[in-house]
Amino acid sequence: MHKRIKSERFIWLDITITLLALELMAYFYYGPRTLVTAGICIAVSLAAELVALRLMHKKFRADNLSCTSDALITALMLPAAIDMKIPAIACIIAVTAAKNIFGGKNNMIFSPAAVAYLIMYTSWKNDLLSYTAPHTKTGIFEAASELVNSASYTYNHTGSFKATDFELLLGNFSGPVGAVSILLLTVSALILILRRDISAGAFCGSITGTVFMAVICPIYGSSADSVKYILATNMILFASIYIISDKRIAPKGNYYAFFYGLFIALSSYVITLTTGKENVIIIMSVLFTPVSLGFKNLQKWIDNERLSEAEAKVAAEADSIAGLPLNETETDNPEVITDSSAKSGSEFEETAENE
Amino acid sequence: MNKGKDKITSGLLDDNTVLSAFMVISPVIMCGDTLQNALALIYAFSLITFFSVLFASFVPKRLPYALKIIIYAVIASLVYIPVKLLAGEIYPESIERIGIYYPLLAVNSLIVFRTESKFFLMKRGKMVGSLMFCILGFDSVMIITGFIRELIAYGTINSHIVDINTLMTGIAQPFGGFIFLGLFCGLYRKIRSSLLRDEDEAVRSAENVSDK
Amino acid sequence: MFLINDLITLLAANLILTQALGTSTIFIAAASKKNLVGIASVVTIFTTSGSAAVYFINRITGEKYNDFALLFYVLAVGIIYVLMLFLFRFIGKKSFERTRKYIHISAYNCAVMGTLFTVSERFSSGTSALTDYIKMGFEAGIGFIIAAFILTAAYRTLNSAKVPASFRGFPAMLVYLGIISMAVYALK
Repeated sequence: MHKRIKSERFIWLDITITLLALELMAYFYYGPRTLVTAGICIAVSLAAELVALRLMHKKFRADNLSCTSDALITALMLPAAIDMKIPAIACIIAVTAAKNIFGGKNNMIFSPAAVAYLIMYTSWKNDLLSYTAPHTKTGIFEAASELVNSASYTYNHTGSFKATDFELLLGNFSGPVGAVSILLLTVSALILILRRDISAGAFCGSITGTVFMAVICPIYGSSADSVKYILATNMILFASIYIISDKRIAPKGNYYAFFYGLFIALSSYVITLTTGKENVIIIMSVLFTPVSLGFKNLQKWIDNERLSEAEAKVAAEADSIAGLPLNETETDNPEVITDSSAKSGSEFEETAENE
Repeated sequence: MNKGKDKITSGLLDDNTVLSAFMVISPVIMCGDTLQNALALIYAFSLITFFSVLFASFVPKRLPYALKIIIYAVIASLVYIPVKLLAGEIYPESIERIGIYYPLLAVNSLIVFRTESKFFLMKRGKMVGSLMFCILGFDSVMIITGFIRELIAYGTINSHIVDINTLMTGIAQPFGGFIFLGLFCGLYRKIRSSLLRDEDEAVRSAENVSDK
Repeated sequence: MFLINDLITLLAANLILTQALGTSTIFIAAASKKNLVGIASVVTIFTTSGSAAVYFINRITGEKYNDFALLFYVLAVGIIYVLMLFLFRFIGKKSFERTRKYIHISAYNCAVMGTLFTVSERFSSGTSALTDYIKMGFEAGIGFIIAAFILTAAYRTLNSAKVPASFRGFPAMLVYLGIISMAVYALK
């Protein structure tokens, strides 16, 4: 238990460090406003978490700090010039309705950041999907002077992508403040996978699915271009690392997690291809939560089956080691046999009920 | 005596139609987005449910269960006709917005299932009282839901503009209804459990006093 | 690819996630796997056969008797209800005992009646064929099954002791369905 909590804290720390690096990049491109927005998201999430824990009569511990990394993920998916009240409201609802109502960090169903994004998407779509160009620094309390569509939108609808490969790697194109720095995201992904902070299976599944679809039916141009641009746009890489591969949400085993990531990527790509909607992967990650829960249930069931099989094996071996005297006792004392069989029967019923 | 009283009023708080018995949820989620809609639904639900259950109480008890259920639904759909015609005069705009949820009120669980399991087990006088409180329970949830969702989603109260500069239009949508009702239901349970605890404590302290 | 697209279309047209029809029924269905299969199958039979009945009712009565539509639909569902009870009684007493409760729960609820009204509204022009009605009724039933599976997957998590007592069960299910419904809405 102690080890698990410790590892949770390290995961949070690692993820936060990579997110801070992305935030720094966002500051470089869009100015101090992004820092203020992120700060507000963190403060509001922390406050909401504290209130929720207080209402649940629980104490605030260091591992509850994961709400701050969720807030940071939310902040990095926003345009630079968004009205700060919007993410603040979304963060409060996400922490309350998508996390603590279900029991908080120990019983996570949805990624709070993905839900926060969806809340903004469904209520303030125009604010969420109108971006400022890189190097356009909006004052903290000012409204943006000129808003543009994201590179994802342009690519999905026209197939054109104006940035060079170098700019693409550095994230010098319009889009969410932290989800476009491709080089940094790739490095973050590598670090987090190697340190086992995110689900490698889910990440690989998501990337494999996207690449596979981009190769067999490119959105525009050649397969190579399609792979390159689809991975750089629509928050594919960002969502694959921080939302789909979130260890709290993805199925535990890498095998199951791979398929979970793969399904999300395949369906996201199909919708992007057919409707041109941007950032569909976030929506699909929420929609595929029941699949993840289904995989978790399946995994539990298989584990239980294996455990009962192993127990049966051990019991059989013990019987064979005990040999004749035990058999003699069993035959001499039929009540013992009846009791033990009744017990195992009731256990079986309990297991069946649980399953 | 007190217990009997509690049973009649239980439909309002203890065993609220929507929040506790989980019935008639769809109209609350779909149409409870403005006060105007809420009022139109309250009008229809109250009249249809009250008269349907009242008339249905005269149906012979000996009939097979399935037949009785069909008769109750038929009675409700007959009551629905004049109610709808009248609603067309009183709430013409809301009727259009509410759409298919208006006729669905006539086959609500309170009429179709609760009649057998609750109302018809009581004497007629008590049944009428209990029914009225059940209806009031739905009405109160509907009004609160309509009021809050309208305020947050459209920044208005009964179509009068209120000075709110950040509106959250999503709460007027079905998903907003689901989430709002879930939160409302949790809050209701919390309040109810704390009230019950207080009552228990009051009873316990009264017992202590009497012991002395 | 077409399969994924069709699945998403089915999800986007889901009566529970988009119109909250049959929410109370789905909570009963999700409670156990046995209930889920039973209720979902019976609801699908009701929506499919009911939609076929709507076709004939609309053809015979027309717009003139619009105010009586509910009465006609209630009678049609009543007939299907009785027929189903007879059918299962005829098949065998055991199967009748098993399915009876599902038939009682599924006959008059918002999922079935809502589907009939939605089908009627969708094909109000009167040019659609019987197969269109049946297809839509069947799709509504499948939508119900999908929504029931979505809820079943999370049933244990939503009823776990880790969920605060005030929100355990029904309120948590509503919020869960709300978030899934929000994702479906965002897809539209």
